[in-house]
Parts: sequence; structure tokens; C-alpha cells
Amino acid sequence: MTLRERLGAVTPFFVARAFALGNLAFLGVDILLAHAANDFALPAEWLPVAFSLVAPLLLLPGLVSERLWARTRAVDVAVALGSIAVGVAGMILHLHSAFFERQSLHDLVYTAPFVAPLSYVGLGLLVLLNRMEAPTGPAWASWVVMLALGGSVGNLGLSLLDHAQNGFFSATEWVPVVTAAFGTSFLLVAMLRPARGFLWLTLGMMGVQAAVGVLGFALHVLANLRHTNVPLRDQIIYGAPIFAPLLFADISVLAAIGMWGLMRNAAHAQGSLGVGSLAHASKEG
Amino acid sequence: MPSVSFKSVFIAVLLGTAIIVAALLVNSRRPSVETAQPSADLVRATGKCAECHARETSAVVHQFERSRHAERGVNCLDCHRPVEGQEPMEHRGFTLARSLTAKNCAQCHATEYEQFERSRHAGPSWAAVRGTQGFSPEQIELGERFHPGWIKRPAHPVGVLEGEAATVGGCDACHDIGKPNADGSFGTCTECHSRHSSSVALAREPRTCGQCHMGPDHSQIEIFEESKHGVIFTAQRERFNLNAHPKQLTTVDMPAPTCTTCHMSGLEGLKVTHNPSERLAWFLFAPVSTRRPEGNSGELQMKEVCLKCHAHTQVENFYGIAEKVLLSTNEKVKDAQAVVAALRKDGLLDDKPFNEPIEFVEFDLWHYFGRTAKHGAYMGGADFVQWHGNYELARLRNELDTMAEELRTKGGKGGSGPATPGDARP
Repeated sequence: MTLRERLGAVTPFFVARAFALGNLAFLGVDILLAHAANDFALPAEWLPVAFSLVAPLLLLPGLVSERLWARTRAVDVAVALGSIAVGVAGMILHLHSAFFERQSLHDLVYTAPFVAPLSYVGLGLLVLLNRMEAPTGPAWASWVVMLALGGSVGNLGLSLLDHAQNGFFSATEWVPVVTAAFGTSFLLVAMLRPARGFLWLTLGMMGVQAAVGVLGFALHVLANLRHTNVPLRDQIIYGAPIFAPLLFADISVLAAIGMWGLMRNAAHAQGSLGVGSLAHASKEG
Repeated sequence: MPSVSFKSVFIAVLLGTAIIVAALLVNSRRPSVETAQPSADLVRATGKCAECHARETSAVVHQFERSRHAERGVNCLDCHRPVEGQEPMEHRGFTLARSLTAKNCAQCHATEYEQFERSRHAGPSWAAVRGTQGFSPEQIELGERFHPGWIKRPAHPVGVLEGEAATVGGCDACHDIGKPNADGSFGTCTECHSRHSSSVALAREPRTCGQCHMGPDHSQIEIFEESKHGVIFTAQRERFNLNAHPKQLTTVDMPAPTCTTCHMSGLEGLKVTHNPSERLAWFLFAPVSTRRPEGNSGELQMKEVCLKCHAHTQVENFYGIAEKVLLSTNEKVKDAQAVVAALRKDGLLDDKPFNEPIEFVEFDLWHYFGRTAKHGAYMGGADFVQWHGNYELARLRNELDTMAEELRTKGGKGGSGPATPGDARP
């Protein structure tokens, strides 16, 4: 099998599964840093780290072998439900840190980031989606875009609340908010009106969002390195969260997978039904 | 290039813009005290500190939230960031001062700190126990400028006698109100105002002064509590407004005085001071009291406070009686000191302090009971003038004379010293 043939065999469905596995694993590293800022004050803070260690290992066999994929449905569902439970519990516990005491904007800004644990919910839903919907069916790709939309809304909330902690002291802190706002609106429209042209435009928007994510990563790293008198560990743990901006690139990748799926389905439909019968996939009211 | 629906793009752009406008509107509703700060760190401190400390040291958060500082929009970093001369410390993304001193408070309360710096609460307080230990040359120079001879002095012989543990655990607890700090300042304001509540009311509360101004050698709180002033305060304290603004304080707020009313407060237009010595006439704490350099001015200032409640003749009469007690106490102390001085002169005592029982008696005589009698007289504590003062002076003088006689008999030099109270003269 040539490289071209190998690459041709890569499907949006396969990439989505790899995406879920990789993200579940990486979240463990991210949370290890995030909760270190809290000195893991509560034993429950270790739970997502442990989950992120175990869950990818459970998903891995199904990813590397089609035969095992068929046999590990129950495992995937268990991982998915566990992930959702971890995410919901995390959100509640994060809000407990301040916001449940006084429901004020101030406490919402300075509570532990309540949007962050919802990453697990999104990934859990993606794992479930991969088991519940046929990847070549009409719904799977739309739901992937829907999950990317949820992630984009999360990015919007996180960038808004995280930078609000600084009072948007630097005007550049509004850049991710603006990007996430348009990312969200474009994904919403792409999901509701998946015309090929607009999907390409939304992919372009996702490209911008990914670039903003990488730029944010660089800016966060630079901001932390400015404090030369601070030990590197402290800079990483207590400084600007270095991995947070990469969520923008991450969500862009998920959105791209979904839109790839939509286009692929449309192309298949075009191939099997003939030109001009894309009414379902590209109808614009 | 596939065609793109104008309608789709319009909806997406409109929706995205609406989200951004909503975000800007929500952000604009934040109180300016949270966002209008000179640095991003100061913005983050408005909420980030409490996020952890509400869990780790919750009481300080609650104390601060109820403070006037919080009302005014002061945040944690305003006080906790290092100022010139302070050792910085990295703490969870913030650069903080390793320990806070009066210099941090002086950033905003410069006048109050300068008054404090000139008071006996500053350098002299620490030097009374530790001598020049810990002072920089500049601090010694500053202290000596306002209190000649009260900084350049040896450590207190009682502290030396009792050892470091007793000094740290005992004396320092009060005398560190004037501890020299590495940043050049003296002490901390928290001794009276507390740390996170930074309370005016607490500083006006007699028990706050009574943390240190208590006990046998400086019984001010006990004297106050038995005085008419103290009785009225105790009985009617719900009528007092201890939280009143220092520059707007009236007798409506303080219908009877607490320690600060007489010694510091700007009652009805009087000048507020953080130098409690400003309204004093005599060095009452000294073995033999002498007039303070600014004693006349101090007496006039204190009388101005008295006149808020009392008639002129009443005030003058009170001062007259108190001064008579002071002068007679001076005589009694001088006589007792003369007995001991005579023993030293005759070689019956060496120059080493506190190595003979009689030296403890002499010390107690002035340090406990001489002081008590004088403080009682100037603070309206008749019982302290009499039973805890003059009666004890008489009893100890008798004990001192008996001991002196024994020493003379043992040393073969009997009969040369004064034998009865009042006989001795320097």
C-alpha cells in the first residue's frame, strides 16, 4: 500500500476517534498543571488526571484494530459515560470554589474555570457519537460540527472569563474573544446551512482560529518568561496558562473533521445520486 | 471556487458581532475598582487571592471583606506588594513582600506613620528591651533625634537576666511595636489596627491598648476600667460609635473617652495624632518622673480634650491633685534609691544588677508601685493611687530598709544608712 493509498484510507471517522483519544490523554497533562496551582488541595482533583491516564488506554485497542473496535463497544460507552460524569462533576466542583457562595459576576470571573471540565463532556459525547451514529450516515458529521460548536462556545467563555481576571489589561486579550465569537457564529450557521461554499469559508475561519490559538500559546509563553526571577515551574503553573490557547487550534481541528465529513458525504451523495441532487446537503433557504 | 450564500455569511457575521457586543457590555458592567488598576497583577489580585485564601485562611478574607479598606477598593496586592527595601517573594503568580511592615501602610498613611515614627511607640519601645540591637545607624539617628538617650542604651537588665526565650516570648510581644525593620521603618500598624480588618474601631477599643498597657508595671487598662471613664464606657458601650471617621469624631460618637480619645483622637476638630506622647506632660514611666521637653504643650493639648466634658476648674483641680501625687511619689522613689545607692557606696552591693534580693525590691518599688500610683493619679484610678500604689510603696520601703539593715549588719557597717521611711536623701 503506497503512502497515498494509506492517506486515502484515512477517514474523518478514524481521525475523530484519534482526536478523542489524544485529547483525553492530553487533558491529563493540562489538568496536572492546572490543579498544581491549587496544590491538589482536594483529593477529587486527582480524579480527572487518573481518568485521563486510564481512558486513552481503554480506547487505544479499538483505534488500532478494526477487529477490536467491533468488540470494545461496551468499553467505549463506559469511557464516554465516565468522561461525561467527570466533566459534569468537575464543573459543579469548580463553581463550588466561589460562585455558589455568591452568584455575582465577580465570583463567576474568579471561581475555578467552570467551563474547563466540560472538555470531558464534549469528548465523552464524541466517543458516544462514534458508537451511536454510522460514520457514513447523514448525521455523524453534523454532530461532530455540533460538538465543535460546543467547544467553540467553551473557548469563548474561557477566553472571556480568563482574560476578565486581568481586566483585559492588554487590548490583545480581546483577540481570542472576537475570534471565538465569529468561530461560534460561523460553526452554528455551517451546522444549520451546510452548503459547500460556506463550509469552505468556515474552514477558513477555523484556520484563523487555529492561528490565533498558536499565537496565544506563544504570547502566553512569552508573558511567563518575562518574569526572569520566578522559577520556571512557577511560571508554568501560576502564570498565563500555556495550553489554554491551543484549545482554539484543537476545536478548529474537530470542526475541520466534521466539515470534512460533511463534504465527503456530500461528494458521495453527488457520486451516487448524480449532479444537482445535493438538495439535502446544500439547500439554502 | 464554490459560491457562498450571502445570507449565511450575513447571519454568521451578525451573530458573531452580537456575541462580541454582549461580551463588551457584560465587561463594562464590572466595577471600575476591579478593572481600573495600574497593572494586570493588581486587577487579578481583586479576586484571585480570595479564590485560594477563602479556602486556606478563610478568616483573613472575611476580615478584609468587612474592612473599610475593602469598601474603598483597596486590594490584597496594594498592601502585600514589596516596597523599597523589602525582600520579595514569589507566590502563585504574584510578587509579594515576605513580611509587611509599617512602611507598607505608609504608602497611603504617610502622615500617620510619620507621627508614629516620632512617638515612643517606635524606636524607644524596642530599645527599652533590646537596646540598639537590630537598629541601623539611620534608625538610631532618627530615634535619637526625637528621643535623645532613649535609643542608644544597653539591653534591659531584666531581659538579660531572664534570657532570650523569655524576652522573645514575653517582652518582644509588646515592645516589637517599634521593632526596627530591614526596610528602614519601625514596627507594624497591625499591633493596634489588626491585620486584615485594619480597624479604627479596634484601635479605639480600650482592650487593644490593654494588650500591652496592663499588668503591675503599667496598669493603664486596669486603672481605666475602674475609672469613671471606663465604667461609663463599659455600661453604655452600645451608645459609642467606635467606627466614626477620625477627622469627624465628636462627643456624640464618644460620650466618654477611651484611651485613644484622650491620647490620639481628633475629637471635635482637635488634631489627630499617632504619637500618643504629644498630649503628655511628664515621663510617668520613669523611676523619678521629669517634665517632658514638650510637656507644657502636651498638658495644654490634653486639657483641651478634658474640656470637651469637664469645667476648667475641674480640670485644673484634677491636674493639681495628680501632680501632687507625682511629686510625692518621686520623693519616695528617690529616698528608696538613696538607700540602695548608699549600700553600693559602702561596698555592700556590687554594680551587677539583680544579684541581690534588695535590688528586686528597689526595682518593684518604682517599676510597679511608683508607676502605678502616678498613672492612677493621672487617669482617675484612686484605688491604684492608694492600695496598688502608695500602700505598696510604704510596704516595700519597709522591706527595703529591713534588708538594708541586714546587709549592713552582715557587712559590719550597721547604722550608717537610713532606717525609717522618708529618712533617706540622695
